[in-house]
Amino acid sequence: MKLWWKDVMAMEFRKIFAYRSDFWITFLGQIFIQLLVTVSLWQAIYQGNEVKTMQGYGLEQMALYYLVANIGMRILWGENIGFISREIYEGTFTRYLLYPISFFQYKTISSLSYSLFYSTQLLIFYFLYHLFFIEAGISYGDLSHLFSGVFLFLLSAMLFLQLAFMIELLALWVDNVWTLMIMVRFFITFFGGGFIPLKFLPNWAQDLLQWTPFPYLIDLPVRTILGLSTQNEMREGFFLILFWMVLLSSFVKIIWSKGQKQYTGVGI
Amino acid sequence: MIEITNLSKSFKSHKKEPGLKGSLKSLFRRQSVTKMALKSVNLRINRGEIIGLIGANGAGKTTLVKILAGIVHPTEGSATVLGHIPWERPNEYRRQMSLIMGQKNQVWWDLPALDSFLLLKEIYQIPLDQYKKNIEFLAETLMIKDQLKTQVRKLSLGERMKIELMAALLHNPQVIFLDEPTIGLDLSAQKAVRQFLSEYQKEFSPITILTSHYMEDIKELCPRIAVMKEGEIVFDGPLNQVQKMLGDQKVLTVTSDKSIFKLHVPRESLAYETQQIFQNHNVIDLNIQDPPIEEIIESLMKGGTTS
Repeated sequence: MKLWWKDVMAMEFRKIFAYRSDFWITFLGQIFIQLLVTVSLWQAIYQGNEVKTMQGYGLEQMALYYLVANIGMRILWGENIGFISREIYEGTFTRYLLYPISFFQYKTISSLSYSLFYSTQLLIFYFLYHLFFIEAGISYGDLSHLFSGVFLFLLSAMLFLQLAFMIELLALWVDNVWTLMIMVRFFITFFGGGFIPLKFLPNWAQDLLQWTPFPYLIDLPVRTILGLSTQNEMREGFFLILFWMVLLSSFVKIIWSKGQKQYTGVGI
Repeated sequence: MIEITNLSKSFKSHKKEPGLKGSLKSLFRRQSVTKMALKSVNLRINRGEIIGLIGANGAGKTTLVKILAGIVHPTEGSATVLGHIPWERPNEYRRQMSLIMGQKNQVWWDLPALDSFLLLKEIYQIPLDQYKKNIEFLAETLMIKDQLKTQVRKLSLGERMKIELMAALLHNPQVIFLDEPTIGLDLSAQKAVRQFLSEYQKEFSPITILTSHYMEDIKELCPRIAVMKEGEIVFDGPLNQVQKMLGDQKVLTVTSDKSIFKLHVPRESLAYETQQIFQNHNVIDLNIQDPPIEEIIESLMKGGTTS
């Protein structure tokens, strides 16, 4: 990979900053609304059950879990649904076949740019949260936990990218992959711990999920940031993410080698 | 050099009957149709040559260009461009080639053109001095200097086409595929693009394949044409040869006190036919011309005379 990756990254950042109102709505608006809804909901649940903690999570910790999980999922998703399939359907995908660079390297760098941007957003909100909402004396992990968690999120984003490649490239055969991507996102959000921390699931379900990549995509990085995961879990998570990444990338290779012969450059 | 031998391409698509019944039926059973877009095409284009590829919609022009640009795989046959097999897409080939599509944008809409150019500079590894020189030359020749810092989506169609041309030519490609570069442009923008392409061809002598439905593009830019019909090349030769093919005919445009009409008349009976017209009509004006090239090409596309 030559120096062009820096320019791809710079280009993606410019695209993020291109529309002022869209930027601020994404950067601030959505997070505040999501946080408000989830905190109100959990507040009602805690008060209704007259408890201070649930599965080891206090209300503030739960609120932080959701804040981190919500931004973390953005790191995970990278660009957006349709970042390849839409281009295939519209014909703009052609540009990647014309440029003398690897399509996968280009898309990885471009997606990583979004993940890095959201990582910055996560760091800012994490510090803001600590500054305004955390009562003195409550421990939520230190800086090393924070950066390890963000690193795990970035790694998970690369794993998700392989999955996204697999599904989005199916657009070379089928007319619509949008619903499939929505389904995959739903599964990841649910089984990955985006809706509720996985500790809330029955033990048998947690044991079963350990054999899948799901818990390492959201739940593990969030727990790491909150200082709730062990060194052993982090190490195990790191290697399992790598394992799934290698496995999925080999499927992507097969799909790509067959799929590129199907491309018709529709719309052009 | 471009060498194409027995190149064929077929596409499979699904058919759906109209109406709700057809939609429901297609959920369970679909009918597929195979269409031959190219049938055993043979063509040879030399360095520095510019060839106009013409034909009706669906004749196979764009498919041929897409195959040569390496974005579509052929079903059968072979092709080499500058010694490379296009659909294998070696980087060395991609660095020397450019595809410009009149209907599709390759630069990023949300950003000013200069941002896209900077990325292309790195992607094509263009040295800084050459990049600056090319930007200067292209922007000046295309008269688009003031628009380079404006978001591409805010530009007019003609300006966007000029930006596309700039983006595609920044790396001085040796092979250029121009797929309807003047489509949708107004007359002055068409003229500007044509003038630019003509100057560019003189300056850099790339191999150029141009597809267009506008005969003005072909007449001004292409000394050689290939006419395509239903996936086959039905004529390949110099443009002036096309005119000679129906050279034994003349077109008479007659304006009488009652109507205006055109007649295609063999050259040998021109005197007799003219005399007949003057006898039978109250002629106000009579114009005798060679048949327009558009008509000849149209007849070729409909399956008329072939070479």
